[in-house]
Amino acid sequence: MSKYFYIALTSIRSKLAYVGEIGSKTIFLFVILYIFLCLWKVTYTETNQNALGGLTLNQMLWYLVVTESMILSLPPIATVVDQDVRTGSLATQLVRPLSYPLSVFANTTGERCLSFAINFFAGSLIACLFVGMPDLQLHNIPMFLLLLPLSFALDFSIYFLIGLSAFWLEDTTGITLIYSRLTMILGGMLIPLELFPDSWQQILRVLPFSAIVYGPARTFVTGDFHLFFYLIAQQLVAIFIFAFLIHVVYTTALKRVFSHGG
Amino acid sequence: MENAVSVNQLVKNFVLKKREGMRWTSSETTAVDGITLSIEKGQSVAFIGPNGAGKSTTIKMLTGILHPTSGDATVLGCIPWKERTRLARRIGVVFGQRSQLWYHLPPRDTFELLSKIYEIKREVFQTRRDMLIERFQLGEFLDTPVRKLSLGQRMRAEVACSLLHGPEVIFLDEPTIGLDVIARQELRDLISEWNRENGVTVFLTSHDAGDIQHVAKRVIVINHGKVVLDDRVSRVRRQYLREKVLSVKYADTPQSIELIGVKTLIESGHAFKFEVDTLAVPIERVMNEIMRAGSVVDITIEDPPLEEVIAHIYSTPPESDEEEGEEETDV
Amino acid sequence: MNMLSSYLKLAAAYTSINFKSLLAYRGAFISQMVAMFINDSVWIAFWCLFFTRFPVVKGWGVNDVITLWAIAASGFGLAHVFMGNALALPGIIMRGELDSWLLYPRAVLPHLLLGKSSASAWGDALFGVVVYLLFVKPDLPHFILFLLLICSVAVLFIGFSVFTGSLAFFFGSAESVSVQLRFALITFSTYPSPIFQGFVKVLLFTLIPAMFVSHLPVSALRNMSLVDAAYSFAGAIGVLAMGVATFYFGLRRYESGNLMEMRG
Repeated sequence: MSKYFYIALTSIRSKLAYVGEIGSKTIFLFVILYIFLCLWKVTYTETNQNALGGLTLNQMLWYLVVTESMILSLPPIATVVDQDVRTGSLATQLVRPLSYPLSVFANTTGERCLSFAINFFAGSLIACLFVGMPDLQLHNIPMFLLLLPLSFALDFSIYFLIGLSAFWLEDTTGITLIYSRLTMILGGMLIPLELFPDSWQQILRVLPFSAIVYGPARTFVTGDFHLFFYLIAQQLVAIFIFAFLIHVVYTTALKRVFSHGG
Repeated sequence: MENAVSVNQLVKNFVLKKREGMRWTSSETTAVDGITLSIEKGQSVAFIGPNGAGKSTTIKMLTGILHPTSGDATVLGCIPWKERTRLARRIGVVFGQRSQLWYHLPPRDTFELLSKIYEIKREVFQTRRDMLIERFQLGEFLDTPVRKLSLGQRMRAEVACSLLHGPEVIFLDEPTIGLDVIARQELRDLISEWNRENGVTVFLTSHDAGDIQHVAKRVIVINHGKVVLDDRVSRVRRQYLREKVLSVKYADTPQSIELIGVKTLIESGHAFKFEVDTLAVPIERVMNEIMRAGSVVDITIEDPPLEEVIAHIYSTPPESDEEEGEEETDV
Repeated sequence: MNMLSSYLKLAAAYTSINFKSLLAYRGAFISQMVAMFINDSVWIAFWCLFFTRFPVVKGWGVNDVITLWAIAASGFGLAHVFMGNALALPGIIMRGELDSWLLYPRAVLPHLLLGKSSASAWGDALFGVVVYLLFVKPDLPHFILFLLLICSVAVLFIGFSVFTGSLAFFFGSAESVSVQLRFALITFSTYPSPIFQGFVKVLLFTLIPAMFVSHLPVSALRNMSLVDAAYSFAGAIGVLAMGVATFYFGLRRYESGNLMEMRG
């Protein structure tokens, strides 16, 4: 296991060179968070409520800090896999004493963790400026820190699967785009699930999108134990299912590589 | 005869800003340092010099892209930097490293667009285009996307593009860069043919000494922003470009070669590098000798590097003008 | 008048060759268009969800926001379908590619802007019109005013891109500053304008002229107010004038050759 940890560390170190991007991402986050601050302020005032969907204005903005940081930190996993399949470098990777899926996982997730940390740091400063420190209890943080890597793992496995479809499909950018937009909207990047129409909520809670974005962010601001245990279970089951799918697809694809020579 | 280009004491200084710690210091460098020259209509002139000598800066001033620091210039009676658009209709410019062809489309589409940009009358455009297609042999690839053309084909189309609006002066900035020997020769021939037959004034920059001999009648050498030589090509050739460098590799040890005008520069194993004075001995004879001396594995003939030519110019006093029979020793 | 028709012909010639060039890679062109459609749809979906919960925000309903998105997307699209190089301006200036454009017998700025068409902009342009027709279901006068307002917004985006892009004449890191400013304009333009108050509102009427994309056109359409439409146009022309002035002022610096390190 330690070798994958080493890959992740190396990936982080190589990404540290791009700290210059922080500046531009900070401006991006500043504008988005400011606009949502205005939008929610008006909405809270007009509805005359303290909490919307169970969140105060402070929590709503901090929720957004988490979701935006997660979405902004997404590395191009499907593109990487797609390219490896098409250029045949996947076949050369097989010679190395590493599992290909795990090494891509280590690589992209290492990068994502760093990127998330940077975005989250910048977003937190901005949110503190707008609404002050988050109203949260101390136990929210370890809960969030448990959910976050699982969320990244789940998101990774879906993108990886899309990338692998390059064995059969001419172009995977379309599916990648659609999936990423679904995570944004159905994952509750902009508004928490509680504010969706009631009839949708039951279905959305079962779909993996909410376990990726909504779940960790909601837990960060509310620290709801019930939700936390539900999410852990949901994430683990979903990861198991997708890991199994990857296994099936990957072994089928490898047979193709060996019988057709790439 | 009327001048197509006249330049008087043209100077261009650039201000360079550099940061040292917290402080910005600016220093001035002179790219073009008082160039004076005039070119008659219909002449073909090679404007050569090493990289950074001020060639491009001069062309940019003559085409109106850059304003000079001081001095005057007129091109076809226009002051380029004051009447840029008016002048643009009457001159053509080819940058060897910058294409005006549309990469994903066939050259035909670019021609069509250029006719709109220059507002060329339909009939004039069609006759001129057809003539260019024929002369530059563009027919076979006129409908092939530019990205699929060879560099030689592309440059031919490129030059044809800049002739479409019937310019009176054409500026070519390193048009042969990156071309192989044959494509280079083809392009040189086309340019000089166009100059001879259509009376277009050609102003060619290059850092390839070979371009001079084949295209131009007159050569202007600049270095450090100054004109160091302005003379007829025939004379320059006789005086400074008479040497060729020949590299030969033999299969075995060859017999020794003893010829007047051939100097052995390097000898290592079976490989030799000779300098040949083409005025003293025709290159053909040298070749025959080389072939006779042993079994040749590889051979190349090159012009001496331009830097050497310029060093040579600095070290040799100009010869008096004598127009006696020249030995044409082209390869 | 002669001049105008000559430049319209030039625009037609460029639009046709740009379109041909995009079609050279039909698949990529279509997928970029579709990508833009999907991208924009996320926002429409968001606003539909939002307004299902909160039907009115400071007097704005879901139709107003969709109208806003339709105008902004189509306006932005239209601008860069015809003048796609507006987005590339800082790069063109900094890499010295302006040289080639200076060699043609045409006014540099309009000619240069026409030089490229953005593939994804075609998606934006279509998206706006489709969404407006589908969701808002306008009558003919509204639709005509809508089309006029798109033009006004397109002029504004071009003007703003030219202005921010021309900053590259004056300082080196202008490329990213220009991207940030454009991003800010687009983002502020695509939210209900009444949520911005005080100092920011002033900012959105001046430095980041988002109000001329969101507030005035939407209110012009809602009330069929030609006065508001006229204000939108005036704002757009103002931004364009500012952009053009900055460009030509910067071009003087370029022609002096003292822009950055230049090679001889």
